[in-house]
Amino acid sequence: MSDDDARPVRSISGGSVQEAELGAARRVGWTAKRDRADSPFAQGVRRLRRSTTALVGAFIVALLLVVALFADVLAPQSPIASDQGHTFERPSWSYPLGTDQLGRDMLSRVIHGSRISLAVGVSSVLLALFVGVPFGMIAGYYGGRADTLIMRTMDLILAFPIYLLAIILMVIFAPTAGLIGTMKVTGAIAIVRIPIYARLVRGSVLSIKEKEYIEACRAVGVRDPWILVRHVLPNCLAPIIVTTTLGIATSIIVEATLSFLGLGTQPPTPSWGWDLKANVAFIQSNPWISLFPGLAIFVTVLGFNLFGDGLRDALDPRLK
Amino acid sequence: MLRRLLQIIPTILGITFVVFVMMRSIPGDPVVSLLGDAYNEENAIKARQDYGLDKPILVQYFIWLGKLVQGDWGASILTGRPVLQDVLVRLPVTLELIVLSMAVALAIAIPAAIIGALRQNTWADYTATSVAMIGVSVPEFFLGILLLMVFSVGLGGFLPSSGWVYFPGTCQTVVCAAGLWGNTQHVLMPAVALGVGRAALLTRLLRASMLEVIRSEYVTTARAKGLSERPVVLKHALKNALIPTVTVMGLQVGFLIGGAIVVETLFAMPGLGTFGIDAIIARDYQQVQGFALITAFAFVVINLIVDLTYTFLDPRIRYA
Repeated sequence: MSDDDARPVRSISGGSVQEAELGAARRVGWTAKRDRADSPFAQGVRRLRRSTTALVGAFIVALLLVVALFADVLAPQSPIASDQGHTFERPSWSYPLGTDQLGRDMLSRVIHGSRISLAVGVSSVLLALFVGVPFGMIAGYYGGRADTLIMRTMDLILAFPIYLLAIILMVIFAPTAGLIGTMKVTGAIAIVRIPIYARLVRGSVLSIKEKEYIEACRAVGVRDPWILVRHVLPNCLAPIIVTTTLGIATSIIVEATLSFLGLGTQPPTPSWGWDLKANVAFIQSNPWISLFPGLAIFVTVLGFNLFGDGLRDALDPRLK
Repeated sequence: MLRRLLQIIPTILGITFVVFVMMRSIPGDPVVSLLGDAYNEENAIKARQDYGLDKPILVQYFIWLGKLVQGDWGASILTGRPVLQDVLVRLPVTLELIVLSMAVALAIAIPAAIIGALRQNTWADYTATSVAMIGVSVPEFFLGILLLMVFSVGLGGFLPSSGWVYFPGTCQTVVCAAGLWGNTQHVLMPAVALGVGRAALLTRLLRASMLEVIRSEYVTTARAKGLSERPVVLKHALKNALIPTVTVMGLQVGFLIGGAIVVETLFAMPGLGTFGIDAIIARDYQQVQGFALITAFAFVVINLIVDLTYTFLDPRIRYA
């Protein structure tokens, strides 16, 4: 790595005409290639691998992904099959986490519940990202009327307490079970989170569009969409990645909260928030059945928070 | 200052209008549950006329607004009780919950952040930051359930698991119970459940800005002129470090209102949160409007207080 440090750092924006005019074109091309291998992103990944918290977070997230993917194999029993002969069993060898009021195995329910949490947490944030980022880029890059229209709409959504908006949206969507129900929750949470991305990206784009390399692109006649995708977007990626990881943690909490209020994915689909809501009624006699779904939510959120925190330190030290 | 006050009005109008439109876009209407068994087309049309539900949405909104200006918040469609009266009975409960949870948050966050920043990278700092990390990852309702398990189930009902006793002098009707000790018993667990998450968030934020401030030149100057550590930390450093924290506290109000809904549901408290969610689910338009109005009002008022706090923390910030 010693020669890396000695070499002057040059920023090259994807091989523009100006570089060709630099004379030693071959050397520039070579440097550009090496620069890419040591890009800010690669540096970030290297810093990430040194961060203990990020690795712990990544481990928890990876473990959860495995559990969610192989839930059918890992769960000892069906999460929805009730067994009236074994209601409110205490934790034992045959029921490691006990059973609930319908005699359903809590371990299997907790394992299967990871699917809803992860699916909603990840997809709602991605959905918000795919809508919010283009809006933010258009608002920031073009300014003027488009900016006013987009950002005023975003401000209106942001003016709402997020739970109030998510709750009303879920009542409008009418919560149901299964895949459709999960998609409804995803949509409601995504709508609430769109303005976060729009604002974040607009702010970055405002400063990036004044940079010389964007001016250079315009001067050589690169079209706006290409400038936005190839030159503007990569430069505001770091805060987007960090916000997304931490956003998944928040979305998982919002999903669990909606389920806890009875407005999430409906039974029989197993969901941690719903299980908490259903089991808390029996807290006097059977406290442990409320304990495990709650612990599952906590560990999941902690995993994403740790990973996101490590990512932030690694990718964008300014955000610290 | 006057201009800042005038900005409140469009925000409140915006939020109440959007809620108005959204509530009426929910399939079905409250007439169905109002009439119950007596439901038939004829009665339904008559009931809709009685409550003005047959008019266009915009007209309905202006009728509501017109009455509001005269101090009439309308009456619940389902119970017939005036909305303002219900809101006033429930307001003290939620107000006490939110104020106390904020107090809990600050009481934990300020000392923890100061210790973390002053003893950076010692075990005290690591403890503070790790606990804060765990704190941000626990959903309010799960923390509430854990508290219930310990103080209500475990300690044999030392703290009551549900219900409410009013703070002396805050009860609007004659039938409700009031008493200082009873009130403390009822509010303690909900306030901690709601406050700890905010405490964790504020600790992380305040620690980061304290670290920045403590290295600044005026702090060095303060030390150089022979001030003892206490006034340096509390008067010079903390006051400036609080500015970004206060901003985030203002933004957290939305979360606090949502958190109040969840915590009030869990502890079965007769507050505005349970009032709001019951009204939304029952589609009691008038009650939902009342809830949206008081929420929007709380939102803007608290943000106004946040702005005014800036001028106290940093006299250079002025509102003309």
